[in-house]
Amino acid sequence: MRKLLFLAAFAFCILHFAFCNDARAVKVEIKSTPEKGYKLIVDGQPFLVKGVVYHPVPPGSDYNYDFWQDLDAIDKDAKLLKEAGFNVVRLYVPSPDLEKTKKVIRQFYKNGIYTVMGHWVGFWNYPCPFYGDEKFREEVKKEVLEMVEALKDEEGLLMWILGNENNYSFSGKVNPWPCPQADAIEDPSQKICKKAEIYYSLMNDISKGIKEIDQGHPVALGNGELITLDIAAKYAKDVDLLALIFYRGKRFGNIFNSVKSIFDKPVLIAEMGCDAYDAYRNKEDQDIQAEFLLFQWLDIYKNTFERIPEGNCLGGIIFEWNDEWWKYNPSDSCRWVYHDTLGGWSNGSYYFDIKVSRNLNMNEEWFGITAFSKDEEGTFLKKPRKAYYVLRDFFASPQKFLEDE
Amino acid sequence: MKRILILLLISGIVSLGYAQEDKKFDVYTDGNSPSNHYAPSGWMGDVGDLSLDDQNMEEPASGATCIKIVYSGKRTQGRAWAGIYWQSPPNNWGNRKGGFDLTGFNKLVFKARGQNGTEVINKVKVGGMGLGTEVAFPDSGEKEAGPIQLTSTWQEYSVNLAGLDLSYISGGFCVMFSADQTVGGATVYLDDIYYLFDPTLEPESMKIGFPFYVYADGSSLDNHYIPSGYMGDFGDVRINVNYKGSAYSGSSCMKVVYTAEGTQGARWSGIYWQNPVNNWGSRDGGFDLSGATKLTFWAKGENGGERIEEFKMGGIMGEYSDSDSAGIGPVVLTKDWKQYTIDLRGKDLSYVIGGFCWTTNADVNPEGATFYLDEIKYEGQ
Repeated sequence: MRKLLFLAAFAFCILHFAFCNDARAVKVEIKSTPEKGYKLIVDGQPFLVKGVVYHPVPPGSDYNYDFWQDLDAIDKDAKLLKEAGFNVVRLYVPSPDLEKTKKVIRQFYKNGIYTVMGHWVGFWNYPCPFYGDEKFREEVKKEVLEMVEALKDEEGLLMWILGNENNYSFSGKVNPWPCPQADAIEDPSQKICKKAEIYYSLMNDISKGIKEIDQGHPVALGNGELITLDIAAKYAKDVDLLALIFYRGKRFGNIFNSVKSIFDKPVLIAEMGCDAYDAYRNKEDQDIQAEFLLFQWLDIYKNTFERIPEGNCLGGIIFEWNDEWWKYNPSDSCRWVYHDTLGGWSNGSYYFDIKVSRNLNMNEEWFGITAFSKDEEGTFLKKPRKAYYVLRDFFASPQKFLEDE
Repeated sequence: MKRILILLLISGIVSLGYAQEDKKFDVYTDGNSPSNHYAPSGWMGDVGDLSLDDQNMEEPASGATCIKIVYSGKRTQGRAWAGIYWQSPPNNWGNRKGGFDLTGFNKLVFKARGQNGTEVINKVKVGGMGLGTEVAFPDSGEKEAGPIQLTSTWQEYSVNLAGLDLSYISGGFCVMFSADQTVGGATVYLDDIYYLFDPTLEPESMKIGFPFYVYADGSSLDNHYIPSGYMGDFGDVRINVNYKGSAYSGSSCMKVVYTAEGTQGARWSGIYWQNPVNNWGSRDGGFDLSGATKLTFWAKGENGGERIEEFKMGGIMGEYSDSDSAGIGPVVLTKDWKQYTIDLRGKDLSYVIGGFCWTTNADVNPEGATFYLDEIKYEGQ
């Protein structure tokens, strides 16, 4: 009888592991060095994030495209990424169906690619994010914690990012939101500060909430440039790192030291890049994209703890894996099947084409390190650009490139 | 015989040594001298404000003639500056081949005097022709010096070129004047302009002392940056850098008028103070301002309530990028002068080509804005 019971228990265990798809999270943590540098540790090993923003919207679709079910396409992308030496994808937001999200994370992880999971934290809620409203704050926090609860045990999960460039809204220039506490202030600079306090305190509250249910993954604050970071230093002390989003051209200058002096947390460059279109000469320019991205990665490597003891950079994430043809004019669906060559905004750091009319040199639809091209049957396929191969060589032997600098 | 050979050898070495030290390459000696290698053909800026006589006989420093330049400062073309390049071949702005390989020289020497002894040459330059542009034959290097306050007697001046790539120079010499530094015009004389090898010369290290002015007064020799970087709706902006109406300090301040008309359709405007002029990061220049802890300036609005979106320093990106940037804003100006401070602690100021900048837009100033700036300076501890 005892033997039978034992056999039954053994069979149950076998069946459980065979058919139950439960994952077990890998421990991810940040450690500081004696010289006040920082390193990311994944499963006990130092880990440098080498990532891409992943938003595989094909021509003809916009951001509503449901890519979560394309597991075969995701598998192909993951293999290409792995071949080039990338180890991370960043998703801006999970699918509303969290089960689908789990499958995507697992598909990447099967290929050795970790997922950085983001959340808009209500930034694009209709009609606008009421960050000063208590009820809104509770709803946003609840939504984020539901995501964390559902995904925290995924082996392929690396970290959470709260927000993207939400801080650009404090000035009212991007996605403005009403806030009686701030709107009563006359001085525009003080008004921005007040909104920053309100927003960052919410991020801090959510961060603390995440840590109550998930001690295995760091929480990052997504922030555009260093704007209002001094206020984040006071009101978002409980986030673990800064996920910095910026477009400073070929080199990053003193940004890592600046972060250290303002907001002494480790830095993940969560968005950086270069478009592959020369708006001034009106032609695709894969060479300049490859050159800029290579120099950006050199700056990342030079600011890691492995290169300098006080290094505070945990890695970088390129914007982005593939072109997105809907971005020039999201409201005009007829244009989504065309690869627009008109610049949408101006940035002098990308000086090679800044002389274009009205200085609109940034081609939002051309940031991919893969481009869409049609096969013989008219199906769009992703074709790596030169930057992909240059970075593949760089990741294979970074020391050689660093020595050549 | 052996002794004679040794003597010959020694004398040969000595003469070779003299030849090296005497190595000389003329830009201008006398008006019709066949040894002149460059022609004063490259006129720039307010060309109507300039006249030049390169065979002037009023007390030359040497020989029979010198160069006389009269600059009226009337801003005939509205630029508030004017200059002349000595070019090879004449009228070559880098689109034709014809420069010289001056490798081996390390110093430019010239003599100058003013008619009254109060004249100011804004700057003199070597090279720089076509640099930062897409011409076929740009100069290999650029060096500038100035401002230079002249006296009424001939003085010798020199520009240290040690370390500069002189392998291709089509702009052999350049002299520039600023209307803001030359109130009432200037008559200056130049003579004996040449390149030389000086074996004692070392590459210059720029020593900066604080306060280091971006702008002190309209005609101050302490001004180190030029408000040349117009951005956005550049047609909406007028600036008078020598406004005498209501200076905070000294004899003048800067008056800025922003009309918010959207002339270029951008609906915003701004100006960078750059070094060298018009440098958007395509050329070497700027200053090492390491040691500065803050940038301070005084500002006021015509009526009070004018809003500036940002005051900043640095942030110009290119092949020669600013090493960092810092800023404040938005700032609503008051009707009275008020001092503002940009904190520079923790910043890398080792390379600053964009010394100061402001931007604003039509949304926050729908009727435009008139404002004043003065005493813009970097300060140390």
